[in-house]
Amino acid sequence: MEGKIYYITKKKLNELKKEYAELMEIEKKKSITQEAPKILESEDLNPEFVSFQEDIGFLRSRIDELGNILEHHELIKNSAKDKQTIVGLGAKVKVGVDGEKDEFLIVGTLEANPALGKISNESPVGKALLGHKVGDEVIVASPVNIKYKIKNIKYEIN
Amino acid sequence: MENLIDFFNKVGKLKNMPRRGWVINDIKNPESIADHIFRASLMVWILGSKKKLNIERLLKTALIHDICEVYAGDITPYDSFLPKDAKKRKALMKTWPRFSDKQRKMLQKKKYKKEEAALNKIIKDLPREIGAEIKHLWLDYEKGLTKEGRFFKQVDRLENFLQAMEYYKKYKKPPQGPWWKWAREFFDESISLEFIDEMAKKFHHDKLRR
Repeated sequence: MEGKIYYITKKKLNELKKEYAELMEIEKKKSITQEAPKILESEDLNPEFVSFQEDIGFLRSRIDELGNILEHHELIKNSAKDKQTIVGLGAKVKVGVDGEKDEFLIVGTLEANPALGKISNESPVGKALLGHKVGDEVIVASPVNIKYKIKNIKYEIN
Repeated sequence: MENLIDFFNKVGKLKNMPRRGWVINDIKNPESIADHIFRASLMVWILGSKKKLNIERLLKTALIHDICEVYAGDITPYDSFLPKDAKKRKALMKTWPRFSDKQRKMLQKKKYKKEEAALNKIIKDLPREIGAEIKHLWLDYEKGLTKEGRFFKQVDRLENFLQAMEYYKKYKKPPQGPWWKWAREFFDESISLEFIDEMAKKFHHDKLRR
């Protein structure tokens, strides 16, 4: 995984930067006091941070993970206007899949969540759609071949 | 010690809880949730050894990832609109459910809340450190906080996909179309993709020759 570039949206980048700063603060306070820092008592705190106080090893691995992502990321931006007719990272693509309608947002692996319609650019479907335009039919090969017809492409990443 | 016995007693129920995806496909004697956990653990250990990952974390994540199902049950994407009529259900299984963005968010939020509450209930009487470790491993699996959490999520579904193909070979169900559609959208990690290509050759070599 070393050397991998993480493609992320600006929203995600801001979330990760905030989390990184908060976790560094927790680690710093914990190393000084050996007690749960005040931040852990905040009701606003993202609940998954709370359990980190129990496990310094996990806290450190999440910090390392965030550090690696922040160091090796590339922002997903809207394509230039003249290229917005082509599927690229950050495109919201309406497709017909073997007669059914669906809509995908093409994102990097960190934000991919097919259950929410966010497809990784490294998945076979994501890869196959990249570079195509409205009207194209894309076949994704497998024992059961799947045909995606591109109906619409939109870019709305901030 | 009594609390530990209660915990093991509760998670032991997973040995007799059939996986719902197979039940709605009318698979005879379907595997249990514990059966799935067993093979997913082996798979993540062996496949995870090919990457520089923390095997102990992978194995622990595999072992705890579905224990919330003792209380939450096993939830499938079909559950919100599953017909009672067997014929209609069989027809539905030939399609992959597609939802609007709003429905997707609502379904995922509902599932997450239900499972998190179930997990909290199952770990509440455990020693604090163990309970917290289980909780953060589960959060890692759910949210992909580390490489291990993200890799296990892929392997979890890989085990499920392998089982689907094994049942297909034996019973000619579940229908393979929806599974392949889902798989081509879900998997994006190199070892998982390589594994799937090999599964395709093993279970669908007749179709690949055409």
